[in-house]
Amino acid sequence: MKKFFGKSFRVRLFAGFLAASLLPLLLSSAMLLKTFRLRLDRQGKQETAEQLARVTQLLDTLYTSFHQVSEALKNDPSIAPVLMRGQGGSTTVYSTLFAVTEDSREYARFDLYDKDGIWLYSTQNGPAAGELPVNWGVLYASRQTAGLAFAAAGAGGNTARPGFVLSSAESDPARPDSASADAGASGVLLRGAAQITTREGEAAGYLVITMDRTHLNRLLGGSYGSQNDLILLNPYWRPVYASDPSLAGTLVPRLRSLLLEGADINDKASEDSYGTAYLPDLELYVLLSRPQTLNRDARTLLGTVTLGSALVCVILSIFLGLKLSRRMFSPIKRLQGAIGQVVHNDLSVRVTPSHDDELGELSRQFNTMVEALKQNQEQLLANHRELNEAQIRMLQAQLNPHLLCNTLDTMKWISKIHQVPQVAVMSTDLADILRFCISPEEFVPLRQEVEILKRYVEIQTIRMSGSFRFAVELPEELAECEIPKMILQPLVENAILHGLEDVTDGAVTVEVRSTSDKQQVWSTPDKQLKICISDNGRGLPKEMEGPYVCREQSSSRHHLGLYNVDTILKKNYGAQYGLFLSRRPDGTGTAVTATLPLTWEEPKNA
Amino acid sequence: MKERHLYAPAGLRRLRRALSAPLRPLRFTALIILALAGPLALSGCDAPQKEEPPVEYAPSEDRTLVIYTSHKEEVYRPIVEEFEERTGIWVDVVSGGTGELLKRISRETEDPQADVMFGGGVDSLTAYAECFSPYSCQDWDMLQAEYRSQDGLWTPFSSLPVVLIYNTKLVEAGQVTAWSDLFSPAWHGRIAFCDPGISGSSFTSLVTLLRVLENEDETSGHSILKALAENLDGRQYQSSGQVLDAVADGTDLIGVTLEETALKRIAAGEDIAIVYPADGTCSVPDGAALIKGAAHRENAGRFLDFISGRDVQSLLEKQFCRRTVRTDILPAGILPKAEELPLADYDIEKAGREHDAILMSWAFYQMGEDSRLYRR
Repeated sequence: MKKFFGKSFRVRLFAGFLAASLLPLLLSSAMLLKTFRLRLDRQGKQETAEQLARVTQLLDTLYTSFHQVSEALKNDPSIAPVLMRGQGGSTTVYSTLFAVTEDSREYARFDLYDKDGIWLYSTQNGPAAGELPVNWGVLYASRQTAGLAFAAAGAGGNTARPGFVLSSAESDPARPDSASADAGASGVLLRGAAQITTREGEAAGYLVITMDRTHLNRLLGGSYGSQNDLILLNPYWRPVYASDPSLAGTLVPRLRSLLLEGADINDKASEDSYGTAYLPDLELYVLLSRPQTLNRDARTLLGTVTLGSALVCVILSIFLGLKLSRRMFSPIKRLQGAIGQVVHNDLSVRVTPSHDDELGELSRQFNTMVEALKQNQEQLLANHRELNEAQIRMLQAQLNPHLLCNTLDTMKWISKIHQVPQVAVMSTDLADILRFCISPEEFVPLRQEVEILKRYVEIQTIRMSGSFRFAVELPEELAECEIPKMILQPLVENAILHGLEDVTDGAVTVEVRSTSDKQQVWSTPDKQLKICISDNGRGLPKEMEGPYVCREQSSSRHHLGLYNVDTILKKNYGAQYGLFLSRRPDGTGTAVTATLPLTWEEPKNA
Repeated sequence: MKERHLYAPAGLRRLRRALSAPLRPLRFTALIILALAGPLALSGCDAPQKEEPPVEYAPSEDRTLVIYTSHKEEVYRPIVEEFEERTGIWVDVVSGGTGELLKRISRETEDPQADVMFGGGVDSLTAYAECFSPYSCQDWDMLQAEYRSQDGLWTPFSSLPVVLIYNTKLVEAGQVTAWSDLFSPAWHGRIAFCDPGISGSSFTSLVTLLRVLENEDETSGHSILKALAENLDGRQYQSSGQVLDAVADGTDLIGVTLEETALKRIAAGEDIAIVYPADGTCSVPDGAALIKGAAHRENAGRFLDFISGRDVQSLLEKQFCRRTVRTDILPAGILPKAEELPLADYDIEKAGREHDAILMSWAFYQMGEDSRLYRR
């Protein structure tokens, strides 16, 4: 997990977004579902309880009225004797019967049977059942309880109940399976009976109260919710009445077998929830079946919606993760590239800040940093240069030239007076050299440098009695180019003093030419000035060939001139310039080449 | 400028922190959410469980009874419901064919699922004697002598004579009078007879036929079976109800069935008439038996007492067209009096013993010429 998240910033961003969006969504939808369900359940339970209470009250009221009827008939002195006699069609009995059943006739049929179960009177028109078995069912039960007893007339009330197969139209033996499926309107659903006794306690007959589907529909219709189903059950959970007749054959046996297995009828998986109430008087269970508040469809819908939202969250998280990481990465990438350039010493690089956020700030900071770095570097370079200049000035100031110049002038005039021309020439030359040396310019035209060089050679010629030749090749177009002052003299001196040592007929040549070196693209000037001082002397030690390198102090003491010139060139123009030592191509002698940029003005940073 | 300098590193630090541990704050948030939501969700789960009432309607184990019955619903249901009302015992009914249920009971001897087998001729019950345990019902003395089980293995419920029926439109009265008429070529291929291997009543008819026609000569039984099989022309029905349907709609002219079934159809107005065979019929009772190892033995006993009791028995004739097995109930006058019926002896024990043998012989003759050849 950690490895996975650590792998990519993008993945981490995505995971973060996902967690931040999905978790609250799932939690809130789960809680919503839960509360929704709880609320609906509570509401449903309450409604069920209310409806059950209504149904119970209706049935209780009905029982009370039945009870009053039975009490009235029992106590009526005229009824029992008539029943004892088995006499039918008595108007007195009928008027009493109709009088006492005034209120409840709408919901039931009242019959009077004699003590052998033969029918005598009925509140209903038309033919009635002729006989009821006295040792069976409700008549038997009424004798056992000595009060008003009720018994279910079988599921659907058709064939299942003892009802005199051979004589009763209610029964249909040809369709034995119709017990539950076909609950016709005429089917008797519930029977109640009370025994009517004479004053002496002798059994005279029975009052039988019969309720069929029409009666119960009339009584209970509208008392339970329209989407609910009402079922009346006997104490053994056999159906007595079902608002939807098909339920008696399907739902009730299922619930009954659940009860027999000891299971709860309200299991969670069921599509309906059930509320029950027991009526002890009627010996009936009232079962109210109500569709589950959150049925499967609703749950599926909610699940789909949640899943859909989760999917949207995932997609949004991926999208945002990509977008944001790209937004963050492009400035970081640019910054990274810029840092790479800085590593390669390119301080001119700048990053354009993309946004005015932390990353934009970062870019600006980077720019400031590079700027500061560049300034620092330039400052450092300038300091170095100043230091070098100071050193050069120190070198130049090692003599106090004015005194020498004046002295030399004086010497010149004295020698002229005393007719010693060599002294005059030498002192003149020396004075010129000195004057040149102490002049404030650091850079001079090449022509002037060459002139001074000639003076020096003149002096040396006198000193060495003209034992060497000296030649200068200076192209006219290069005559005015600027070079550092007094760089040629030490080289020529070197050639004369060391190169031509013990050499007769020596020659020193100064050759000036300009080259352009295309390969050195980094160099600022396009062209280079090469000044080659060669001699035909004894040559160069092998190890000194190549670019001049400053060796240990002791040995370079002899080459102080070379060292100084090289240093001046390098300090003024950079490390790529300097002296190059080589043997002459014809074998004898040495060639020292000074390389410096070809320029007609002083270097700016000099 | 200076402010920006101060601000920027802080921003950088924040940025770096955010980059290095992006999940940490999220995890923290998630924890907070969980901590808040957890108790809510839990309380939500707990709430409905408290309201749930315990199951209070279910009967206790000692108030239940499991019955296997081969009776039709119209027969067993009123009796079972009345039994429930009177005793307070919940009855769980499993219905099916006699043979099917008896086989199931014999399969379940190790762990009996039922307490009572209700229905089926007592000869069929006797054939499965090892599955039942004797019970002597309360009113044993009041039973007619011929319907008493000597060892108490079964309790009789009703007496059901075997009868012949004919279609009143196609057959004239008097054309069929006795068992021997079944062999008449006039009915060849038009006799409705149910497979005795399936229907207990059909088996009873077959045994009755054998008893009536069989003389002292034991071997004649086979010739009787053979003759009947040939006259049936290989046709047998798979349920006893189909026998009545076939005769009523004229597919078949005559049929063999039980008095009870025939009377119910006649009452329903079908074109059927009953003939009590002149050469004698027998009235084998159907009964109920207590299953060996029954879990609710006491309740089962009460049920056996109830079905052989006066209240049920007095309803039999009127309600179910069955004859009572008791001596103390007067006939209602719907059925012909038992004394007037030409009854033949029926040895229930013997029929039970020979149950398999007779069925095998019957199946053998039923298969016809080819199989006989094969057998040789």
